[in-house]
Amino acid sequence: MKNLKEMREVFVAGIGLTKWGVYEDQECYDFGSEAIFKALADAGMGWTEVQAAFCGSVYQGTASGHQAIKEVGLTGIPVVNVENACSSGGSSLRLAYLMVAAEIYDVVIALGMEKMPRGPIPSTAFRPWELASGFNIQVGNYALETVEYMKETGVTEEDLARVTVKNRKNGAMNPNARFQKPVSLEEVMGSRMVAEPLRLLHCCPLADGAAAAVLCGKDKLKSLSRGIKVAASALTSGVYGDGMPAAGIVNSLKYPPEVGILELSAQQAYEASGYGPEDIDIVQGYDTTVPSELWGMEKLGFCNKGEAAGLLRDGKFDLDGELPVNTDGGLMSRGHPLGATGLGQICELVTQLRNEAGARQVKKARVGLAHAMGAGPNSSITILTR
Amino acid sequence: MGDNSHQQIPLREGFWTSGAPDSGPRLIGSRCTQCGEVYFPKKPKGWCVHCQQQTLEEILLSPRGRISAVTVVRQPPAGGFYHGPVPYAYGLVDLPDGLRLVSQITADNLEAVPVGAEAELVIRPLYQNSEGREVLTFMFTPVA
Repeated sequence: MKNLKEMREVFVAGIGLTKWGVYEDQECYDFGSEAIFKALADAGMGWTEVQAAFCGSVYQGTASGHQAIKEVGLTGIPVVNVENACSSGGSSLRLAYLMVAAEIYDVVIALGMEKMPRGPIPSTAFRPWELASGFNIQVGNYALETVEYMKETGVTEEDLARVTVKNRKNGAMNPNARFQKPVSLEEVMGSRMVAEPLRLLHCCPLADGAAAAVLCGKDKLKSLSRGIKVAASALTSGVYGDGMPAAGIVNSLKYPPEVGILELSAQQAYEASGYGPEDIDIVQGYDTTVPSELWGMEKLGFCNKGEAAGLLRDGKFDLDGELPVNTDGGLMSRGHPLGATGLGQICELVTQLRNEAGARQVKKARVGLAHAMGAGPNSSITILTR
Repeated sequence: MGDNSHQQIPLREGFWTSGAPDSGPRLIGSRCTQCGEVYFPKKPKGWCVHCQQQTLEEILLSPRGRISAVTVVRQPPAGGFYHGPVPYAYGLVDLPDGLRLVSQITADNLEAVPVGAEAELVIRPLYQNSEGREVLTFMFTPVA
């Protein structure tokens, strides 16, 4: 296996993000192509410079990436569709990164897009009898993990609500978020129960939208100062015995894993990048339901198990805190177009690392980490640095 | 169409055995003769996904376990696959055989099911299918 540290350096040359929301009059290829044009403009590149495209989506049907690329222009390049559940965007980015690192291509685009089905997130990553038994309700599955997490750590429902309040406060400064209005602790605690102990405002809203990133070698960058280096792009697809109800997987009681899926993906990303948790200045965490942001911070190595809620209370993860988390409002504000989410996180990290985030710009942003996970199971981590 | 409501069919064949008249139902699982790992439902091809050997044997699982997590779902799952009642409770149940499984939880008061409760296996109707037959599934219910 090749050591990525010895391969070519890869940079994000340009990003393109559409405003996420609910678009009855648009299809994924409409905003998918919009994200590509925006990313090209941001990179200062023409479409004919792009040599390959990886397109992440989950619900868009046959060859959906091609449908978006048809609205940009067919140029003879290979287009490959990536369906990896909530990590589809992160997985497309990783494939683009590997292709440039390995010097197969010099300029590659990663696209993530989704027009979401309405209602709760539908997942068919279950056996038919599990679907018929009502086990494919992701809020319920995260609720089961949350029950265990609260029991083990003493985290309270109010602690969970504080994640929502923080993220929606950040989202109020993000013109591309679906929800740009802050919520109070009382509003979160008073929202309707969906699956005990998770209430409506503990769960991310859905959204339609797209995000794209142009990746290239250093010599292809039009602007050195705006190029953001990909320090690591890791993907772990499950380890034996690590339970994840949202992926239809229960813990092994006889053979619990030494290292869980999320921790393993973090180890791989830190090892590849040469950075550790202490070097990270800004995080885009995975708040598909708010408790997963808390245990995510712990499993990513930023604190010990059970400590994230206290650090959140103390303001460490605020925009002006020591380690800002979900500076664009996270999934709670952006919404969650499954295939686009991972690349939406990348767009925010790049914007922050370039010091172009306007009202929500954090003070010190040199190294950023994005994490997305979900059904499969998958856990994808990207570390970027300026 | 005649009245089929007295006819009951299992959600899936081969999930449980109704047992002798004096004993209750038992879930049918698999156990690896090499590494001891236990699975539910039974893996039909006999391959162990822990040690990658075709060494699984069929076993009857313990009808009693402990509820390690439970939630009450208050909106129907997406996709139209689920035809049972809403709200419904489901959770993680640990069996003394050494496995955890996901199961619906049935109780008079779903909201009062305590984590850590002892629970036993029951076979209950989940919904009535389009032919009017009652579809049965396994559930766990807390024991006093």
